[in-house]
Amino acid sequence: MIRELIVAFVGLAGGLAVGSGFVAFLTVLGVIPRLTQLTKTMKWIATYEWGVVLGAVVSSWMSLRDPLFSFPPILASAIGLFSGVFVGMLAAALTEVLNVFPILAKRLGIDEQIVVLLMAMVFGKVAGSLFHWIYFVNR
Amino acid sequence: MKETIFLKMRHRVQVQPNATIRIGDVAQVVANKQIDDIVQTPIYTVQKKDRNIVIVDVMHVMKALMAVAPHDDIQSLGPSQTIVEVVYEKKRWGYLYVPIVWLLLFVGSGLAIMNFHEDVSMQQVQQRLYRVITGKDVEKPLWFQIPYSLGLGIGMILFFNHFFKKRINEEPSPLEVEMFQYQQSLDQYVIMHENKETMRRMDDDS
Repeated sequence: MIRELIVAFVGLAGGLAVGSGFVAFLTVLGVIPRLTQLTKTMKWIATYEWGVVLGAVVSSWMSLRDPLFSFPPILASAIGLFSGVFVGMLAAALTEVLNVFPILAKRLGIDEQIVVLLMAMVFGKVAGSLFHWIYFVNR
Repeated sequence: MKETIFLKMRHRVQVQPNATIRIGDVAQVVANKQIDDIVQTPIYTVQKKDRNIVIVDVMHVMKALMAVAPHDDIQSLGPSQTIVEVVYEKKRWGYLYVPIVWLLLFVGSGLAIMNFHEDVSMQQVQQRLYRVITGKDVEKPLWFQIPYSLGLGIGMILFFNHFFKKRINEEPSPLEVEMFQYQQSLDQYVIMHENKETMRRMDDDS
């Protein structure tokens, strides 16, 4: 009994550390404020927080229990699209935090054409990802 | 009669090389009398050794103003210096680098996302997720992966609020705010570091 309690305590402590780290990461990158700003739904920010928390909890439960459903593949496509948008926003936020573009554009003296550099990254990500899944994984 | 002259330094102006800077170039001047001649008063001539940044301090403008309008009351508002940017011939070669940088970013970000996928074992996660959703074991769950890849691009565009030239809404994008802040830091730096130097040189000349 004591042993189970200790294991439960260690699990709880680990979960706390990982969960707070995850939220801190999201906060630093500012993805949620960005989404509320785009959709003008600042009032719902508490709901979005619960969305993040429930998403993390449900997903970790699923990855531990491995349940099986029989949904059509189109649902997988929808979830794929959503996870792609999320990872894309994370990647964009990361380049923004690291201050890559302002310095690059300034050095080249092309402040107005910064969108061109941005599109290079967007196309690069999409092309790299497609190449990875369709061709690279079986090599 | 004693008049009040209001003076407000502009933040940043651009001039030609060897141009003569007049009070009206670096400051807005408002008064209750004719000020055309005051505004035209030259205060500084840009020289080769100034390179591309000259800082004109409000005190320097004040000195010139007091010389032409000795009996008036001068009130200064706003910033206390103007950054004068000397624009030499437009850098053409900048645009030659664009395709190279474009390719660099394109290939680099593609490679970075592949490394990221490998690093977090994305393939296995997606295979398992696909099995959880559809109940089928598939080695390459492309039904999941292709929308995911397109979503990557959509997410980045959404975050930066730009779709080519067209913006999704009126607000500045984080990138534009970031550019603005970077420019402000640069301005702050040159104000602090170029000011004393330039003013000393100016005083030597006069």
